Amino acid sequence: MSDTFDHNGLPEDEVLAAEYALGVLDGAERAAAEQRVARERGFARLVAAWEERLAPWAAAIPELAPPPHVWNRITDALPAQEQHAGLWQNLAFWRGFGLAAGTLAAACLAALIYLGVSQQEPLVATIEGGGQRHFVATIDVKRSTVAIVPAAFRAEASRIPELWLIPADGRPRAVGLLRADAPVTFTLSPELAALAKTDAVLAVSLEPPGGSTTGLPTGPVIGTGKLTNL
Amino acid sequence: MDLDANRSLIAAALGRIPQGDRAALQTVYRLTSAKLFGICLRILGEHGEAEDVLQEVYVTVWRKAADFDAGRASPMSWLIAIARNRSIDRLRASRTSRNMDAIDVAADIADTAVRADAALESAQEHAKLHACLGELATHERAALRGAFFDGNTYEDLAARMKVPLGTMKSWIRRAMFKLKACLQR
Repeated sequence: MSDTFDHNGLPEDEVLAAEYALGVLDGAERAAAEQRVARERGFARLVAAWEERLAPWAAAIPELAPPPHVWNRITDALPAQEQHAGLWQNLAFWRGFGLAAGTLAAACLAALIYLGVSQQEPLVATIEGGGQRHFVATIDVKRSTVAIVPAAFRAEASRIPELWLIPADGRPRAVGLLRADAPVTFTLSPELAALAKTDAVLAVSLEPPGGSTTGLPTGPVIGTGKLTNL
Repeated sequence: MDLDANRSLIAAALGRIPQGDRAALQTVYRLTSAKLFGICLRILGEHGEAEDVLQEVYVTVWRKAADFDAGRASPMSWLIAIARNRSIDRLRASRTSRNMDAIDVAADIADTAVRADAALESAQEHAKLHACLGELATHERAALRGAFFDGNTYEDLAARMKVPLGTMKSWIRRAMFKLKACLQR
């Protein structure tokens, strides 16, 4: 977030948020603001506050029931139900941690900066659970590497965090052991790289030193995050 | 239906969508689609396009419901913003605003017609916004209205009100901050 001001003495980020929420930006400016909403939590909050202020004005617009076929088209456009239910059934044991979907934080940018290059369509996931953001993961699809930056993760002496990739079939695959105090980068095997797509989930469990020996998480899952395109 | 009850019904249904609950999406649709269709139609001006965009709106709701934070935002404000943004994106893709009629400031009247059926938003918030809009200069209010209801860009509004682009930007920015200050009182 910048603290700079425009020539009217108004804070620039706040002006941009107001302009975006009102809808007066065109083309590239609008796209750039949209990107910032997706990436910067602080900016997204400014925009949401403006949306909240303006929304009551919409009461002035007459309501009109849409024709019935619109609902049918919506249900047709949703992802296949079986797949979704299946994923969730298999993931039932993650419940209580909540899947963190979509929200990208400034920490993601830190992960990108850490990678040090501008990637073609990197995948990112914010691994959250219990109200805490523990790690931020960035996958460089081209090079099949995954970089994990600790966020608010608190280390335990007796157990270490292990990263898991859970694709659509719901079966966790071990990726590697993480550190609480430093970023870690892994190279994914071709098999794992093929499974690292959007909608796959990254999860972190606490395991004995050396990691799980069963091929599945044995300790508590402290956080999960869905892989999304930045 | 009681406004607050409606609001919590929508918020609760949004909260069930991330678990893949289609019935919850249907509940949200049942309670909000007439309002959101009205918004899409107002901005796009054409039924077919408004239907297409309304479909995109609810598919977006399905995908992004986990982003909705009931502690921070009102569910209707969140939904209205999605409907307006999708409609504006569609407008921008076709590179024209539908309503480009000249705006005659002299003919501008304050939005006195506060609708009793204003439904989902609390009447109090609505009244407050209208009072604050009423404190703006007539040309400022007219410019904001063109942006909010017609999806106009700065360029569109400058053309419709026959002022330089820089003037229009100043009008809108100052009006938005006056509005914010008034709403905070």
